[in-house]
Amino acid sequence: MRIRTAGVVTVLALALAASGCSGGGDDPETPTSAAPAGGKLVIWGDDKRAAALKPFAEKFGQENGVTVEVQAISKDQQTTFVTASQQGSGPDVMVGAHDWIGNLVQNGAIDPVQLTAEQLQSLAPNAVKAVTFNGQVYGVPYATENLALIRNTKLAPTAPATIEDLVAQAKKLKADKKASEILCLQVGQNGDAYHAYPLFSSAGGYLFGTTAGGDYDKNDLGIAKPESIAAFKKIQALGEKGAGALKRSITVENSIATFTAGKCAYLVSGPWAITDAKKAKIAYDISPVPGFAGGKPAQPFLGVQSFYVAAKGKNKALAQEFVTNYVTTPELAVALYQAEPRPPVLTAAYDQVKGTDPDLAKFVDAGKNAVPLPAIPEMATVWDPFGKAESAVIAGADPKTALTAAAKTISGQIKP
Amino acid sequence: MTALLERETVPAEAPEPSGRGGLAGPLVKIALLGLVAGLAVWAAFPLIAERAWPGLAVLLVATAGLFYLYAGPRHIPAKYLIPGTLFLIVFQLFPVAYTAATAFTNFSDGHRGDKQEAVVAIQTASVTRVPGSTEYALTVATTGDPATGALTFLVTDPASKVVSAGTPDGLTALPAGDVTVNAAGRVTAAAGYTLLNGGQASARSREITDLAVPTPGGAIRSQGLSRAYEGKAGRAYDAGCDCIRDTTSGKTWTADGEVGAFVAADGERLAQGWRVGVGLANFTRLVSDSAVSGPFARTLVWNLIFALASTGGTFVLGLGCALALHSPRVRGRALYRTLLVLPYAMPSFAMLLVWRDMFNTDFGLINNLFGLDVDWFGGAASARIAVILVQLWLGYPYMFLVATGALQAIPPELSEASRIDGASPWQSLRRVTLPLLLVALTPLLISSFAFNFNNFNAIYLTTDGAPFPADNPANGATDLLITYTYRLAFGGSGAQYGFAAAVSIFIFVIVAVISTVSFRRTRRQEEVYS
Amino acid sequence: MTKWLSRVGWRHGVALLALVFSLFPIVFVVSAALNPLGTLSSTEAVPTGASLGNFANLLSGTDFARWFGNSVLIAGVSAVASVFLSALAAYAFSRMRFRGRRVGLLALLLIQMFPQFLAIVAIFLMFSTITDLWPAIGFNQAWGLILLYLGGALGVNTWLMKGFFDTVPRELDESATMDGASHAQTFFRILLPLVAPVLAVTGLLAFIGTINEFLIANVFLTDTGAKTLSVGMYGLVAGERDNNFGMFCAGTLLTAVPTVLVFQFLQRYIVNGLTAGAVKG
Repeated sequence: MRIRTAGVVTVLALALAASGCSGGGDDPETPTSAAPAGGKLVIWGDDKRAAALKPFAEKFGQENGVTVEVQAISKDQQTTFVTASQQGSGPDVMVGAHDWIGNLVQNGAIDPVQLTAEQLQSLAPNAVKAVTFNGQVYGVPYATENLALIRNTKLAPTAPATIEDLVAQAKKLKADKKASEILCLQVGQNGDAYHAYPLFSSAGGYLFGTTAGGDYDKNDLGIAKPESIAAFKKIQALGEKGAGALKRSITVENSIATFTAGKCAYLVSGPWAITDAKKAKIAYDISPVPGFAGGKPAQPFLGVQSFYVAAKGKNKALAQEFVTNYVTTPELAVALYQAEPRPPVLTAAYDQVKGTDPDLAKFVDAGKNAVPLPAIPEMATVWDPFGKAESAVIAGADPKTALTAAAKTISGQIKP
Repeated sequence: MTALLERETVPAEAPEPSGRGGLAGPLVKIALLGLVAGLAVWAAFPLIAERAWPGLAVLLVATAGLFYLYAGPRHIPAKYLIPGTLFLIVFQLFPVAYTAATAFTNFSDGHRGDKQEAVVAIQTASVTRVPGSTEYALTVATTGDPATGALTFLVTDPASKVVSAGTPDGLTALPAGDVTVNAAGRVTAAAGYTLLNGGQASARSREITDLAVPTPGGAIRSQGLSRAYEGKAGRAYDAGCDCIRDTTSGKTWTADGEVGAFVAADGERLAQGWRVGVGLANFTRLVSDSAVSGPFARTLVWNLIFALASTGGTFVLGLGCALALHSPRVRGRALYRTLLVLPYAMPSFAMLLVWRDMFNTDFGLINNLFGLDVDWFGGAASARIAVILVQLWLGYPYMFLVATGALQAIPPELSEASRIDGASPWQSLRRVTLPLLLVALTPLLISSFAFNFNNFNAIYLTTDGAPFPADNPANGATDLLITYTYRLAFGGSGAQYGFAAAVSIFIFVIVAVISTVSFRRTRRQEEVYS
Repeated sequence: MTKWLSRVGWRHGVALLALVFSLFPIVFVVSAALNPLGTLSSTEAVPTGASLGNFANLLSGTDFARWFGNSVLIAGVSAVASVFLSALAAYAFSRMRFRGRRVGLLALLLIQMFPQFLAIVAIFLMFSTITDLWPAIGFNQAWGLILLYLGGALGVNTWLMKGFFDTVPRELDESATMDGASHAQTFFRILLPLVAPVLAVTGLLAFIGTINEFLIANVFLTDTGAKTLSVGMYGLVAGERDNNFGMFCAGTLLTAVPTVLVFQFLQRYIVNGLTAGAVKG
C-alpha cells in the first residue's frame, strides 16, 4: 500500500511537472481571441468557389503580410455561416448568392459595403441592383448566372421564337425518332420554381409586387392572383396531360444528362451545363428562353454571386480591404471567370473575356430580361410551395386549387 | 444443458490472474491518473489566461472527483460507468438540454442574438455615405507604439491632395512637407507617425472599424485599410425611450420585449430582432394552428406504420438470412456474409440518392427493367411502398449481422434436444430459438424502431414527403413527423429553431412513451427466461 | 440430391436471392462509376466506353486520398474508443447492482431518440468556446470530432454488450475472485475475450456509423484537407448542377472499401461463437 501511494505521488508529480513545462511554454503565446501577430483572414465559400479563390487569396495575403485561409462548406452554406457567425466562429468574408442578403441582414450577419462612385460604375448595373437591399449595397458582386435555352444544333438548327414553336419542332423530331424527349426542363417530383419562372413570367404570373421604390413588397403576393392562375393553366397545357413537354420525371439529376446523350434537342439550363455539353461533344447554341406566343418575354431569374463582409468576423478591417478593394480589380475577376465560366460583373473584365468565349455574350443576352432573385427573407417561404404547385399542375391538378393552397401556406409563414 | 455443464468445469482451467500480472494493474492505474492530472493542468492554463473562473472551478471539481473515484477502492460501478457517461453528458445531454431550453424562446432567423447585438446591427446597417462627400485614400497610423498607441487616420483628399490626420477629436490638416504621398494618393510616410502594416492593422481590426472621425456632415470611417468615406448613421438608439430613431425622418421604433423586435406605431418592424422567452407559445402553436396540427394525426399514424414496417421487415429478412446461413454445411458462408453486408457498407446517403433515381417514372431502372409504368412517387400508396422497400434494403444487413451473432450464442444443444424430443425444425425454431433470440435482441428492436421513427434521411433524400395533395404543399403522404417538422421550421421564412425545439420535445415524448412501454413489457419476458 | 436440396440447397437459394436483392443497386453504382459520362439515366449494365477515368479524376482532381485517411483515422479511433467505453459500462450494468441501474439502462436507450435539430447550434455554442480555449481539440481538428462522436458511445451498443455479458455465467467471475483477481482483472482478462463476438459486431457498427456521418462533420471540418470522405463526397455532388455523378459513384465504391476490410478482419471474431470461446478459456 505504501509503495502504491508513493508511486502515485511520484508519477503525479512527474506528470504535473511535464505538463507544467509545456503549459507554461504555451502560456505567453496563448493570446485571447485576438488574431496572432501576422493577422489572419478567413474566407468561406462552397467547394467550387473555395478552390477557385485559393491562389488569389494567397496573393492578397502576401501583398499585405497576412495569412489567408479559404475554407469550403459542403452543405447548408448560408445556415452554417449565420450560426457560426452568431457564436463567434464564423469567417471574415463569405462568398454566396445574392438572394441570401435579406436573411443575412435580419440576422445581423453582414455589414453594408461602401463602394466609391467609380467602383459602382465599373460594375454591371443589374448586378448592383441585385445586391442592393433597403437602399444599401451589401455585397460586392463578381459573377452572374441565368437560365437560357441551349439547343442541339444538329437536331434543331434554328432557335424557336416561342415555346409553341419549340414544342412543334420537338414533336416532329420525336415523331422522326431523332429525339425521345421534347424539352429538358427540370421539374422533379416536388417541382422547381427556379426553372419554371421564365415560362410563368412570360404567361403573366408574378411572385411579389414591387413598391414605389422598386423593392419587392412582401405584402403583395401574386401567386393566387388571376394572372398567375392563368399562367399556370398555360403551363399545364405543356404538362404531362397536355403536350408532354414538362414532365416530373425530368429532374436535376437527369435533365442535363438527357441532353448530352442526344435524347432531347432543347435544354433549359445555365452556364454550368456547358461543360458537360462540351465534354459530350454536342454542337450547341444558346438563345434566350422563349416565351409564350402573345405573352411577355420570358424572364429568367438572375443570380449574382457576391462577396460579403461578415459583421461578426474577427478581422473586419482586413475583410473590408479584401472585399471592397481587392475583389473589384480586373485581374481577380478574370481569374475567377477562368476558374468557373460565368459572366463577370466587372465590365472591364467582361469586355476582356467575351472575345475569347462566344457563349458568354449569349448568356448575357439571354439574361437581358432577367429579374434578380428576390433577396427579401420572405422569398424563402415561396420556393417550396410554388414548386409543389407547379409539379401538381404539371401532373394534371387544377391550377386554382394548387395555387390557392400554395398562397395560403406562404402567407401563413410570412411575418407581419 | 451440456454446454452449461461444460462451462461449470471451465473455472478449473481459468488462468491465474494474480502473480505475474499483479503489478501491471496498479501501474496502469497510476499512469492513467497521471495522464488525467496532466490533461487537467494543460486544460487549466487557457482557463486561467481567460479568467474563466467558473470553468476552472468545474475542471478542478471534475479532476478531484476522478481522483477520488479511481484512487480509492470504493464505488466500483461508478469506475466503469463514469468514462462513457462523462462524454454522454457533455456531448449528448447538453444539446438535449439546450434544445429543451430553446423551445421556450423565439430563437429563429432575425431573433438569434441579444438586444444589444440587434441595436448594433441596426445602427451599422444604417450608415450611408454622405452624398457628394469626398472619397478619401486612407493609411492607418499611430502616434505611439504600433500595438497600443492611439490610432490616427491619415486621409488624403484625392482632389486637393491635402493630407489630414483624423482622430476621435476631429480632422486636422497636415503640412505638405511632413508627409509623403504615393501615386495612388496614399500616405507612405508621415513625420511623427508610425504607419501600421497589414499584420499590425489586423491585430487592431476592431479599433480601426470602430474609429469614427467626427465631421460637420457625419463621420469619417474606414472601408478596409486603404479607403475612407464620410458617412452618416441614419438610425440611432435612444436609451431614454428604448427605441430606434431615424435621424432624418424622426420615425421611431420602440423595443417590444414580447416579440423581440423594434416596432413602429404603424406596425412596421425592423428586420433585426433579438431572442426573447415566449413561454409556451411554441407548444400552443403546435396544437392550435390548424395548418400545423391538422395533418399531424395522419402523419403520426404513417410514421408509426413506417417505423414498424421497417423494423419488422428488416428483422424478418435479416433473421431469415441468418438462419439460412447458420448451418455449418453451407460452403462459402464467409463470402455470402461479406457480400450480404455490402449494402450496409455503402454510404447510406449515397445509396438513398441512387434509389431515388431508380424509382424515376420514365428513366428509372425499376420501371425500365421490369417493364412497368408506375408513377412511384406520384401516388401515395406506391410512394409508401417504395420508401419501405428502400429501408428494407438498407437495414436488413444490420439485422443479419446481429442475428448471426445472436444465433452463435445460442447453444446448439438446445435445439438438438428439442429435435430429439420430436419437434419439427419449424417448431424448434418457434419455441426454442426465437424466444431466446428475442430476449437478446429486444433492445435492438426497440432502438431500431426509434431510429426509424426519426429516420430523416430515409424520406428527405428519396421523396422529401412526396406525393403532396394539391391543397396542402406542406404535408405529404410519405412525410414523417420529423420531415414535416423540418419543413415547417426550416422551410419557411428563415429557420425557426424555437418552434423546431418544441416539436422535438413533442416527438421525443411520443417515442419515449412507446419505447418505455414496450421495454417494460419485454422486461417481464426477460425475467421469465433469465 | 433432394436430400441435399432440402437440407442445404434451399439455404443457398435463400442466400442467392438475398444477394441479388442486395447487389443490384450496387452493380448500378459500379456501372455509373465506370461510365465516363457518369449518369444514372442510362440503364445499361456495362456502359459503352467503360473506363477508369472517374477513379483517376477522383484521386487526382480532388483531395480524395486525404479525406480517405481522415475518415479511416477518425472512424477507427472513435470505433475502438466507443467500444471500450461501452464495454466498461456494460460490465457495470451486467455484473453490478447499484441504485439507478434500471433507470440508467432505460435512459441510455431514450437519450439517443431525441431529435437533434438543434444539435448543430448547440455544437457551435460549445465548440466556439472550446476552440478559443483549447484549439487542439476545436474546429477542424480530428481529435475534437472524435471526442464529439464519443458522446454517442453509450447507447444501444451498451445494451447489446450487456446482453452478451449476461450470458457469461457468474461462476466464472466468482472463481476468478476466489483466485484473487480484482474486478478489473476479471473484466480485462476473463470477460472481454469471451465477449469478443459482440465487441467485433459493435466495433463494426460503430465504424460504419462514424464513416457515414456527415451532418456534424460538415460544420466541424471546413478546411479542405481536414474533411472526411462523406463531407468531401457530398460536396462533389450536392448543389452542383453539373453532375459529377460518375466521380460520386467512384467515390462511393471506394468509401465502402475500408468497411468491407474491417468486416473481413472481424469476421472470424463474429463467428467464433461463445461456446468455442468458453472452452478455450
